[in-house]
Amino acid sequence: MENPDILEKAGKKVVLLGNEAIVRGALEAGLGFSACYPGTPSSEVGLTFADIAKKVGFYFEWSTNEKVAFEACAGAAFCGVRALTAMKHFGLNVATDSVFPVAYVGVHGGLVINVADDPFGHSSGQSEEDTRRFARVGNIPMLEPSNTQECKDFTMIAFEMSERYEIPVFLRTTTMVSHSAGTVKLGPVRKPKIRGKFVKNFERYYCIRPILQKMHENILKKIDRIERDYARLNKAEGDPKSKKGILANGVSYQYAKELDLKNVRIGKLGLTYPISRKFIIDFIKNLNTLIVLEELEPVIEDFVRGVAKDVNPKLKIYGKDILPRVSEYSTELIRERIAPILKIKKPDFSEQERELKKLKLPTRKAVMCPGCPHRSTFYAVKKVLGENVVWAGDIGCYLLGIFKPFEMQDFILSMGASLGVTHGIRKVSDQKVVVFIGDSTFFHAGMPGLANMKYNDPKVLVVVMDNNITAMTGHQPHPGTGFSAVGEPKEPIKIEDIAKSFGIKNVRVVNAFNQKELQATVKELDSKPGVSVLVSRGMCRLLMKKMLKKQGRKFPLFQIEPGEKRNLGLLDKFACPAIMKRGNRYYINPDMCWGCSVCSQICPPGAIKPAAKGEEK
Amino acid sequence: MTFNVLLCGVGGEGVLFTSVIIARAANLEGYEVRGTQLHGLAQRGGQIPTHIRFGKGVFSPTIPRGEADLILALEPVEAARECYFADKKRTGFVIDTYPIIPVYTSLLKERYPSPEEIRKMIAPFAKKAVFVDASNICKEKFGDPIYGNVMAIGVAISSGLLPLKQSSVEKSLRYTAPKYWEQNLKAFRMDLKFRD
Repeated sequence: MENPDILEKAGKKVVLLGNEAIVRGALEAGLGFSACYPGTPSSEVGLTFADIAKKVGFYFEWSTNEKVAFEACAGAAFCGVRALTAMKHFGLNVATDSVFPVAYVGVHGGLVINVADDPFGHSSGQSEEDTRRFARVGNIPMLEPSNTQECKDFTMIAFEMSERYEIPVFLRTTTMVSHSAGTVKLGPVRKPKIRGKFVKNFERYYCIRPILQKMHENILKKIDRIERDYARLNKAEGDPKSKKGILANGVSYQYAKELDLKNVRIGKLGLTYPISRKFIIDFIKNLNTLIVLEELEPVIEDFVRGVAKDVNPKLKIYGKDILPRVSEYSTELIRERIAPILKIKKPDFSEQERELKKLKLPTRKAVMCPGCPHRSTFYAVKKVLGENVVWAGDIGCYLLGIFKPFEMQDFILSMGASLGVTHGIRKVSDQKVVVFIGDSTFFHAGMPGLANMKYNDPKVLVVVMDNNITAMTGHQPHPGTGFSAVGEPKEPIKIEDIAKSFGIKNVRVVNAFNQKELQATVKELDSKPGVSVLVSRGMCRLLMKKMLKKQGRKFPLFQIEPGEKRNLGLLDKFACPAIMKRGNRYYINPDMCWGCSVCSQICPPGAIKPAAKGEEK
Repeated sequence: MTFNVLLCGVGGEGVLFTSVIIARAANLEGYEVRGTQLHGLAQRGGQIPTHIRFGKGVFSPTIPRGEADLILALEPVEAARECYFADKKRTGFVIDTYPIIPVYTSLLKERYPSPEEIRKMIAPFAKKAVFVDASNICKEKFGDPIYGNVMAIGVAISSGLLPLKQSSVEKSLRYTAPKYWEQNLKAFRMDLKFRD
């Protein structure tokens, strides 16, 4: 949904999402170029750029992966154009190979990397990594906004810092910052500089010794100067005479403020790499008790413990000894853990707790949408190959296949890992393995794995679940889609052509909504030696729904024939959310059916038919 | 003082849209606004709680335990699921009674509670609870249950459970979704009219 407030006039106060505020900050900084690969919780940064790029007049694209996106931004920044890329934490894992050398060689135009961590894993299933560690490994400065207003303001400061010191800058958020909404006071949008020039400099753009050591020294000097010059991003609040203090970053600071603590000094770090030693000394020198609030790793805590040894050795420091290193914090968690130390009152929830325990609620988990092509593909593959198969999973909506009744994702690791891991399994085991990988994931990181597999030739069936879009993160196009981020037509690259160009002999493309064809092709490819590729193609139903809505059209509805007496128990194995059960009778909820017709194909003939009303197709 | 609204429902019901309408209306009235809008898997039929807080001196984007002033639920079981944020002395509920039965209910052989059971579940957490068949009413009137969310905002205001002005919500609706403005306005005013 495009938010018209992004482009509101300077001086207005509007409500923005953290991610939208980052975009506004970039516009106010005169951004000229952005490239991203979607990854929630950062996806709306790119989605918002895509909405407004043409209107404002800067360049935006969805690149094939985070590394490519970052490199494109670096190229623009080398030419003096301000660039920003946004990615989730695992995206940074992919991009890092290029991020570290770019930090050494430096940039001309400001280059900002928004990296969004996801403690608790609201929308991530890989690890709870803390990317603040990356800043330290690469000697790259890191700013951490704590709310929506700061998302905008810090983005602007990040550009200023990046250009002043010719160094890329991390803007690190977490889900509760990226996806928090809040009032933002807007400033003026700067006309973007969109053209630049690469100026050759033979001692600048590579890191080979002896230049390597000079560059390493140089980046350390930059970090020292940033520590000194940007200490203003940190602040201390409350009674300076107070003996008790809290030091926090990001959203943890907001939780601490919510508690409205009296006689406690609160320190906030806006720049978490490099941490200002001077700020920490000033903050802790007169305290006797300090509580460090930071989600995930004890990064600030370790630093403060080191400083305290010299300047205030008697300071009692609490951190990960009272608060968890896993998951995210909340106001009530912090209150609970710091109450005994600060002697504050805790509300009594015992009665509420008793009542909560009595609630028995049905499980609700995310499911594949009604009419999802992946459900149809999963159903057909299992129907033909049975249960005795290792199902290699990957990242995308199809990871929902881990749940009942499919249970067809035996491992899910990272983008493209289905192929590499399967290869290893097949080389040491005779088990049958089927790979499920999505179209966007295939372009992102699937091609090297497939080339390796073809070259070393194990027998594997690779099913590419091609729904024509990056679906899970909110419908971003990729090179197979046929249009760009800003809606311009492009010549699509076909996945089957890539597979064939690798020399794979058995490549088939089938309609994901045609059970007969799907099942026959799975059976055929199962009998072939070597690597086979099945592209199961069917457009994301949610995307199709949006397209039909724009045209004022609806899906055809299906219904179970009144008086149908045959056993329709197969529908339990299909698990469409539109098909419900009252007692032993199935019925299709007409508000939820998205007309894919697959249920009618798997049931006995004539049991399920288009609804008599005959909605247009 | 801060007023805390927790919105919940199932992905696809328009929880995010509802939260944008309320947040924007609160902003129009000059309040400081904070909240969360978690995306990700929710779109795929999962549960999706969204927090909106408005007032002065609001810090945390999430509502602390037991501090919701209004739980506006677009699906009845989801209202019960958010009772962690409710308090008998404080929390009003507005609940669309249109049930969305999870596919897991039959797969895991669980039971979806009856309307009476849901009322009993909510009672120990509610200062006041208003149940309205908003999605079904909208389906009947406009041919699409999706407008149930907007009708539910109207119900919350007319029941005195959401301290926002009718005019600011209407402005917010018009600004947010100009294409569906007329339909949304009808849905929003439906209950206001019933109660006048």
